[in-house]
Amino acid sequence: MDTFYIELPKGAPTPLLLRTHTSPMQIRTMQKQKPPVRVIVPGKVYRRDNPDATHSFMFHQVEGLAVDTDISFCDFTGTIEYFVKQFFGASVKTRFRPSYFPFTEPSVEFDVSCIFCGGSGTAAGGGVCSKCKGAGWIELFGAGMVDPAVYGFVNYDAKKVSGFAFGMGIDRLAMLRYGIDDIQIFFQNDVRFLKQFP
Amino acid sequence: MKVVYNWLKDFVDATAPPEELASRLALAGTNIGSLENGPHGAVIDAEIGSNRPDCLGHYGIAREVAAIYKLPLKHVSPKPAESAAKSSDAIKVEIQAPELCGRFTARVIRNVKIQPSPKWLKDRLEASGVSSISNVVDVSNYVMLELGHALHAFDYDKVRDHKIVVRPAKPKEKVRTLDGVERQLDPGMCMISDGDGSRSIGIGGIMGGAETEISFSTKNVLIECAWFDPVAVRRASRSLKLHTEASLRFGRGADPEMAELASRRSAELILELAGGELLAGVVDVYPGKRAPEKIRVTRAEILRVMGADVPDKQIEASLSALGFAPVRVDHNRGAEGSLLAAWECAQPSWRAEVEREIDLIEEIARIYGLDKFPPRLPAARQGAARLPQGEAETRLRQRLIGLGYREIVTIPHVAEERDALFRPAGVSPARLSNPLSEEAGVLKSTGIVTMAAALEWNLNHGQRDARLFEIGRHYRLKENRPVETSVLTIGATGEAREKSLYESPRDYSFADLKGALDEIGQLADGRDAQGFQWRDEGPEWLHPGKRGKIQLGNVELGMAGQLTRRIADLLKLRQGVFLAEIELAPLYSAMQSAKTAQRYVPLPRFPSVQRDFSLLLAEGISFAQISQSIRSLNIQEITSIEAVDLFRGKNVPAGKYSLLVRVTFQSREATLTDAQINHFEDKIISILKHRQGAQLRAS
Repeated sequence: MDTFYIELPKGAPTPLLLRTHTSPMQIRTMQKQKPPVRVIVPGKVYRRDNPDATHSFMFHQVEGLAVDTDISFCDFTGTIEYFVKQFFGASVKTRFRPSYFPFTEPSVEFDVSCIFCGGSGTAAGGGVCSKCKGAGWIELFGAGMVDPAVYGFVNYDAKKVSGFAFGMGIDRLAMLRYGIDDIQIFFQNDVRFLKQFP
Repeated sequence: MKVVYNWLKDFVDATAPPEELASRLALAGTNIGSLENGPHGAVIDAEIGSNRPDCLGHYGIAREVAAIYKLPLKHVSPKPAESAAKSSDAIKVEIQAPELCGRFTARVIRNVKIQPSPKWLKDRLEASGVSSISNVVDVSNYVMLELGHALHAFDYDKVRDHKIVVRPAKPKEKVRTLDGVERQLDPGMCMISDGDGSRSIGIGGIMGGAETEISFSTKNVLIECAWFDPVAVRRASRSLKLHTEASLRFGRGADPEMAELASRRSAELILELAGGELLAGVVDVYPGKRAPEKIRVTRAEILRVMGADVPDKQIEASLSALGFAPVRVDHNRGAEGSLLAAWECAQPSWRAEVEREIDLIEEIARIYGLDKFPPRLPAARQGAARLPQGEAETRLRQRLIGLGYREIVTIPHVAEERDALFRPAGVSPARLSNPLSEEAGVLKSTGIVTMAAALEWNLNHGQRDARLFEIGRHYRLKENRPVETSVLTIGATGEAREKSLYESPRDYSFADLKGALDEIGQLADGRDAQGFQWRDEGPEWLHPGKRGKIQLGNVELGMAGQLTRRIADLLKLRQGVFLAEIELAPLYSAMQSAKTAQRYVPLPRFPSVQRDFSLLLAEGISFAQISQSIRSLNIQEITSIEAVDLFRGKNVPAGKYSLLVRVTFQSREATLTDAQINHFEDKIISILKHRQGAQLRAS
C-alpha cells in the first residue's frame, strides 16, 4: 500500500500525507472525549494504486468505534450482523473469521454469503460463480475488539472499558449491493448513472 | 505456505476430508487461499499471517488441527544413531554478534553419499512447490517445510579451519551467495564466516554462500541450524532485495528452541537417505536463551471482553493443545465454572507474539469458535447525534435535489494546468510530491475544476443536459499548512426545461443558476442575513455580463456565472456551461441561527396593493441596483420588489432597455389609502430618476 504525500518546501516541519484509511478517527475521537463513545465516521481515503475496475486512488471508508464499560465481542458481532442484514437483506448469512490487525484483538475478517450466487458457489448458468470464485463467501471487511494497548494512548482505563472498531469500504459495499462492476463509474458522474439512483 | 494434506497426517490423525479441514482452519484463523487436488493428494494454500511464523511448517499447522479437533499432536523426537567421535572435536563455533544471532547449532556427518532423493521425498517437495536438487540439500528444505525452521548444509571440507564465526558484516564487505550473485553488505547484517572470520560463507538467516555449497562430490556435511534476530533479518532482506524462504521465517520470528530439534531431524533424514556417520552431540552456542514468560488469564476477563462464557474444559484443552500449559491458580481450584477461575500459562517459544491476557483470550476464542459467542445489540445509552452542521447539510441537499440537481462525488486529484485555470490569484495549491500522473498532480484548489470536468465528461458522452452539485472540499496551502474548506459546487448545461406536449424547451441560463442559489439563500433568511446579496463582479473565467459574487451578511460566500467563451473553447465545451461555488460554513451557521430565531408572523389583516413601474434604463443598470435604491427609501410597507418583464427592440432606443418592476405594498395597521400609495410611488420614481437615471415609460 502506497501513500500520497503533499509537496512541501525543504525544511517544512512535518510531512503531510493523504490518509490511507479512516482509522485515525478512532484516536482523534478518543482524545477528544471520555467514554462512552459510539461514532461512525465516513470519509475519503487515498491510496496510490493504479486505477482499474476494483481500484481507485480515492475511495470511501466508514469507520466505526464503540467503547463503553460493557461492550463485548457479542455486542460487536451483533452490531455488524444487524447492519449487514439491513443492507443486503435478512437472508444473507454471515461469518467471522479470526484474523490479525495491529490495533484490534481479537481481530476478525467478516464474510457474507455471496450475494450473487446465494452462497452456493455456483453461477446461475452452472459453473463456478465468478464473484466469490466458488467459495460461496465474500470477504467484506476487517474489524475487531479495540486492542487494550490503544487505550493507553488516550488515558482510558483498559481494565474498565472495552470496545470494537471496524472500517469498511463504502464504494465496495455499494458495488456489491447494486451489482456495479467498475468502481470508476462512481466518479465519472455520467448523468445516465446518476439517474439510476434518483 | 502450501500445506500437503497427507504430510499433516504424519503429526495428527485427522480424519476430516481436506475441504472440511481447510474450512475449519479458516474459521480458527488460518486464512485459506485455495484448495487443490493434485497428483500427490490435496494441497491447501494457506496464507499465514505475519504474526504466526509457527505456522510456516506442517508441524505448526498440525498443532492447529490437533487443537481444533481435540486430537493428540505426535511430537517429533528424532534419535539418530551417533558415532563415538564427537562433533565438538570436529567443529568450533563462535558468536561475536549475539544481538544478531541468538543461537547457533552445528552437527557434522561424515562420509555421506550425495545422490538424488527418493521418490517420496521428491513428491512432497514437488507438492510444496520446491524443486529437488540432491538428497542432502532436499533434506534441508524438507525439514524447513516440516518444522518451519530454516537450516543450511555446508560442505564441511570447504569450511576453513572447521571453524564458524558469526559476526556483523564489515563495511563494504561482499559475498557471493548460492544464487551466484555477488552482494554488497552493510554492518547491520549478520554474517556466517569461517576460519579466522575473514571470509564470509553465508548471510545469516537469508542465504548461504556459493563457496561452501554442497555438490555431488561432497563427502562430509556440516548442518547449521540457528536463530537470527527478526528485525535485523527483515532489514537486511529488504536492503539486499533478497527474500528467501529462510528470511521469511527468521524475519517473522523463528522458534529458538526449534533450532536443535530441526538439526537433529535433518541428521536423522540424512543418515537415512545419504548414509554416513553422525558425530556425537551437538555444538550449541545459545547466548539468547530466555526463560518462558508467564501469562495469566481469568474467566472474569474472558466474560468482560467476549461477553459469553467458555467452559473450563474447553479453555484448558485449547490452551494445552497450543502449548500454553495452563495451570489453575485461583482459590476455587476444582470448582468448575467458577467466576474466580484464573489460569497461569507459559508462553511457548514458538509464540513470541502472545504476551498478554488479551492474546490468550483470542487463542481461546478462535479455537472454541467465534460463532459460539451469540450476537446481540449493545445497550443504547445516548441518543444519536449528528455533526453540528449535519441537519443544515441535509436541508441544503434536499433543496438542491428538489430543484432538479443531482449530487456527485469527484476525485480531488486534478492536472496542474486545469487547476490553474480557475485558481484565484495568490492561492497556493496543494501539490502531490508523488502523483500517479501529471493528470492528477494537484488537489483541486476550487471545486469548479472537477465540476467542469464532470460536465465535460457528460458532453463528451452525448449527455447534453446536466444539472449537478457537489458538497465537498477544496484544498489549499497556507504557510505550508493544509487548509480544507467545505464548499458547494454547482454545474449546469443544456436545457433547463425539456420539450413536452405543453411546453417548449428552454436553455439553462444565468437566471436559472441565480434562482437556484437564491432558493438556497432563503434557507438562511433570518434576522442576521436576508438571503444572498449579489454584486456584479466575479473572476475573469466567468462571462462579464453573466456573473455575480455572492455575499451573505458581511461574508463573501463565492461566485456564480457562465463560463467565458475562451475557457469553454479551451475545454472544447460546445454549449453554455454555468458554474458556481460557495463556502458552506457561513451558510450553515446562518441557516442554524435563522432556524433558531424563526417565529410565527401574524397574517396581514389588510389588503395589499401592487404598483407596476415601466422603466427605461441604460444598458448596464441592473435590477439589483433598482431594488437596492427602492429599499434604501426604508418604506416599511413594501413587502416585495420583483422584475416581471424585460424588453429590448421596437420602440426602445438603442443602448437602453425596458424593465417592468412590480412593487407590493401592505400595512399591518390599516388599509393603505390612494394618497399614501401615490406618495410612495412618487418617492420611488424620484429616487430611480435621480440615482439610476430611469425614465418612466407611458404604459
